[in-house]
Order: sequence, then structure tokens, then C-alpha cells
Amino acid sequence: MLDVQDNPAPEVHDDPIAVDPRQFAAKVNSWLPHDIMLTDAWFPLAHSFAVAKKPIRRAVYSHPYFIWRKPDGSLVAAETHPNDQLAAKKSEYTDEAGHYPVIEKYGYVWGWLGKPENAAPEHIPSIPYLPEDGGLPLHMLGTVRFDCCAPLSLENLIDLTHADFIHADVVGDEKMDKETVEVFHDSETITMVRTCVNKSVAPIMKIFGGVRDDVQQVRQVIRIYLRSHAAIAYGRFSPGDNVQLFHPCVPETRDRTRLDYAMNTSNVKKTNLFRYMMPKASYKVSRQDSSMTSPQSPRYMRPEKRKDLHSPLDEAGQKYRVLMLALAERQARGDFTYRDNVSSDCSDIIGYEKA
Amino acid sequence: MTEAAWWAVARSEEISADKPHNVDIGDQPVVLWRDDKKVVRALEDRCPHRRAPLSLGCILGNGAIQCGYHGWTYDGASGQLIDIPNLKSDRKFPPVYKARPFAVHEDAGFVRVCLDAKAAAPAPDDRVLPLSGTSIVALDHEHWIAALFDDPSLVLSIKGVRFSPYLLTELSEQQGKLVLERSCQWASPHWPAPFTSDFPISLRIATDPVTGETDLTLLDDEFRALFRAVLAPVPAARGVTQVRWRAALSPGRHHLMAKAMGIGTPFRVFDHVDGAALRVLKPSASIHASDLRESIVTRKSGPPTAQEAAA
Ligand code: FES
Ligand SMILES: [Fe+2]
Repeated sequence: MLDVQDNPAPEVHDDPIAVDPRQFAAKVNSWLPHDIMLTDAWFPLAHSFAVAKKPIRRAVYSHPYFIWRKPDGSLVAAETHPNDQLAAKKSEYTDEAGHYPVIEKYGYVWGWLGKPENAAPEHIPSIPYLPEDGGLPLHMLGTVRFDCCAPLSLENLIDLTHADFIHADVVGDEKMDKETVEVFHDSETITMVRTCVNKSVAPIMKIFGGVRDDVQQVRQVIRIYLRSHAAIAYGRFSPGDNVQLFHPCVPETRDRTRLDYAMNTSNVKKTNLFRYMMPKASYKVSRQDSSMTSPQSPRYMRPEKRKDLHSPLDEAGQKYRVLMLALAERQARGDFTYRDNVSSDCSDIIGYEKA
Repeated sequence: MTEAAWWAVARSEEISADKPHNVDIGDQPVVLWRDDKKVVRALEDRCPHRRAPLSLGCILGNGAIQCGYHGWTYDGASGQLIDIPNLKSDRKFPPVYKARPFAVHEDAGFVRVCLDAKAAAPAPDDRVLPLSGTSIVALDHEHWIAALFDDPSLVLSIKGVRFSPYLLTELSEQQGKLVLERSCQWASPHWPAPFTSDFPISLRIATDPVTGETDLTLLDDEFRALFRAVLAPVPAARGVTQVRWRAALSPGRHHLMAKAMGIGTPFRVFDHVDGAALRVLKPSASIHASDLRESIVTRKSGPPTAQEAAA
């Protein structure tokens, strides 16, 4: 078992972002998300409610996961279906019985992809606004899919200027007085905080949330757990209700992403329609994202001579690329350790206001 | 070679100031739109920010195109980035901040694009051809043109006209084009083509050796043009060919069948090609096409011939 505490604190020169700007830019522009495959990570493969006696099938980078519950309720995540007579040879990611490490937390079944002996509960990301033992009502949960590679989906998420254009009809357009973006990171996470002053009110809050004003103050946080490809999307709106979304992007294959989301709207009054409508917005919003990430994806499959152009608003996206590449490089060198703890409570980092 | 060619990638009526339009030239995606002066603009259909297709964006009131993903906004003529709305600043962007522009030329109801942004405009064309259409065919450019040479009935139809297998001239070069003439019959009762002494009509096909842009002329036996059309096949992604065409019937057509061409739809380019028929289509006129093409193109890139110099 891997012990996070035992790892030496990262030294300054280890920070892939604190390098000279030219090196940083070179990394940003060598971005080939299709070639990145990170292991030794927990992936939220299914909502807890979806797993019962009958095996369900999931995948991470095309590795099959068959997940079911034994009569005593305990979980099995196997590489082959119990009925499969022609099971292929066992991968390095499962134990003698062909089982992956599996764990249940926050209302999800998490499967480990990586060396089984390294699977440790402390590598499960912290999600402050999901109850640890699950139990959110079904209307707050759902599945959407993207036909693009998972890092592109996350890069999409961490640059929220996109929302002003492709989701304007749901979350409001780009009209506002001021926008600031701050970015924090460690070796396993990146956190972006976007503050908007006097931004057009999100139509969904006008229509269903009872917000009467024309502008609102917005603070949105996106925090990505790099290895798990899972993100927290936390928004504070005033006037308006806070939005508490868990947004995992499981790389089922290198070019297909599964998102079993949880939008915890229990902070919203039971009489407010927003509580029931906001989680459903994912169906619309995800198609809007897909309209861009789907055609983008093949354009990031092969090395490309021309560099992407960047603006100061892309700081988070650029750092995301560099941090992902740094992890991939470390793993290529055989270093799978977690230098930073992903499970310690991140409430302060995301500015979570407990209801 | 394709870098210097002018490709008729759209009909004028297909391009508006309301919505960007996507076409391909081979594997090169292109976005087209009309700016605030109604001038057609063409950029690579790829935003240099995060590679999203610009054709999914919108056209602003000032005629610029705005990417639908993060709102980067480009000038149509130069491709230069002119705005990132969320930056809320008026500062100018460095010259490398641009989408790749292409040269555009519009006349005779066609929008032509040249991948070389600095290309000189093509010769003006003042033909007015009121009929028009677009067909997207799952057959590659070279084979589509070969089918047109070997048996036009596989790729198009002219109302009341039956194409015979008999050629008046085989494929040869005339003024830089690949030209052939095919004997045709009216689709009325008559002796089968193999037993026919004289044919009442013929179809002249004159094709540009590079783009495959083709002038079709249907002539009667007194050398009067009954019908003319311009076909513009353009290679697209995955071996598909986009065929735009414009056509006109000549006034004063005398033969009964020629008169009847004016009723209904006189011309069609097919969206589908019969694979079974195509597979067994005997290569005939097309056999010399590639040699002829090559000799024309190499000569064009060299010094002009006496004939060209005189023209
Ligand atoms: S991809 Fe076009 S603005 Fe970002
Ligand atoms: Fe989005």
C-alpha cells in the first residue's frame, strides 16, 4: 500500500509549471491528449444505484470492468463477465481472480486502474458536497456521453469562457463588467476560480430559479483531479442558488468519455423548480459541449506542426495540459506515486459554503 | 498543383450573411460566408485557438466571423484575429494570431476558392446560367470524371437525351482542356444506336485538366446549342465529390424533343452512382485522360506554346 505521507514534499524545481516560459509553452503545444493514459487512479465507473446482482459493463481505456454486487452487498469489479467462456488473458491490472480493486464512496462505485497493490482509499478525490455514503435522489443523477477524448472534455470545462458562447441560453452570455481567472495547482489537481462582476443572469435561473435581476455576481470553481479525470464544478451565484456538480470524465476509450454526473441541488428550496430542473440541464449542456469537442477530438490525435494560439484566459487550460503531461512523463519513468493528497477535504480551496 | 487551382466550391445562392457554410477542397475544410458588404469570405474551417470548426460559429454585424466555442472573432479578408470578447480589451493581436485565409472569387453564379491566398483572380466569366444544383456523390473526383467521360448516363441525365456509346472525337486536348464529343439520340422510338447512320444530337464535354470543371454543350445536327451546363466537381473528405452545376436551355429549340426539354427538370446530376454498373463500365474515353492531363499541366507550368502565346 502506498503511503502518501511518506513521500518527500515536491521540491520547487519539480513543479512542471515553475519552469522557464519557453519550456512551458513547448509543453503546452506538444499536447496530444489521445496519447495520454494515466494509471494508478480511481475512476468513478458507476452510480451506486446502478450496480446490483447483474453485472454491468464499464471500461477505462478499453479495459473491461464487469461490476456487480454479491448477495451480501459487497462489490466485485472483474475483468471478464462470469458467463464469458472465451475470456482473454488476464491483464496486469487485476488480481489472481481477475478482479480490480473496487470501492464505494460518494454514491459511486470506483474502480482502480493500475497496480492493484497501490490501490488506496486515500487516492479517492475529495468532493465536499457529495454525501460520503451516497443516497442522493435519482433526479440529481444522470449519465451523458461525449464522443471525444476525456482530457479534451476537461479542457473544455476548465475554460469557462466557452460557456458564455455555447451555453449562453442556459447559463448566460459573455456580457459582464469584469472577469478574473485564478489558477491553483499541485501535482495531482488543478483548480480554476473565475469571478464575474455583474454578469448576465443565467436564463435557467431566471426561468426556474426565481431570480428577477438582470445581472448577478458569479464565482465558479472548476477543480480537476488529474488522474481520475474527475472534476468538481462549483458555482456561487448571487442572487441565485449555488450549483454543486460532480463532473467525472471517465475515459472509456481514448476517444470516448462517459460522464455519470451528480448535481446536488439539496441546497435549493424544495418549492423551487430549479432544484429539479438544474440537474436536467446536463442533457442540453452536454450536447452543446459535444458539438465542439466532438469535431475537436480527431484534430488532436496526431502531432500538429501549427501551435494552438492562446489568450490570458487560457491559463488554466494550459496548466492542465502541462500537469497532465508531467504525470504521464513520470508514469513513463515508472513513478506512480501520489506526491499530493487528493482525498483531504478541499472545501477551503473551492470556497465551499456549507448549506 | 491544387494549391494554384480555383475550385468552384459553392453556388452563389448557397452562401449567405446569416450562417457560415462548410465545404472541403480535398482534405482541407473551408468555411464560407458573406460579410457586411455581401463579399464572400473564405477561411480554413479550423479555429487556431482550439481547432473547433469556425462554421459552427456565427457572422457578426460587422461581417467578421465569430467562433462558436470561445468567441474568438476573425476578419474575413485577412483571417486576422480582431477580438476575444471575454478579454474586454482593445489591444491589437500579434500578426500570427490569424486563421488561414483563402482567395475567393465570385462570378457567373459560382464561388471559387483558391488555397493560395495571394493567387491572381481567374479570368472573368459573364455567363448567366439560371438553373443550378448541388449533388454530393460517394465517388472520388478522378473516378467521377472518368465516368463522365466513359458513360455520362451514370452520373447525370439531360431530359429526353440518350447518350450513345459512339464518339465523334475521342478525348483530346483543345485549348488546354480535355474535350470529347459523344453522339446522342432523342429518347423517342428509333433504331438502336448500333444501327444508326446519323445522330440528331451530340454532347460536347470540355474539362479542365486540374479541377475537372466541365462545360457541357448539347448540339443539334446543325450545330445549334440546345443546352449548356457547367459542372464543378470538387474533391471532398473521404473520397466524396461535391458537384455544383449551373445550366441554361437555349431559346429557339426547334425539334419537338428539344422543345419538350423546357417542361419540368431538364437536367440532373445524380446523388448516387450505380456501383454495379460502374464496376463493369469499360474504360474507353477516359483511358488517355491522365496522360493528356499530365502533358497539359507540365506544359502550363513551363513556357507557353506558340498557340497559347497567340491566344
Ligand atoms: S476554439 Fe475557437 S474560440 Fe476557442
Ligand atoms: Fe460546457
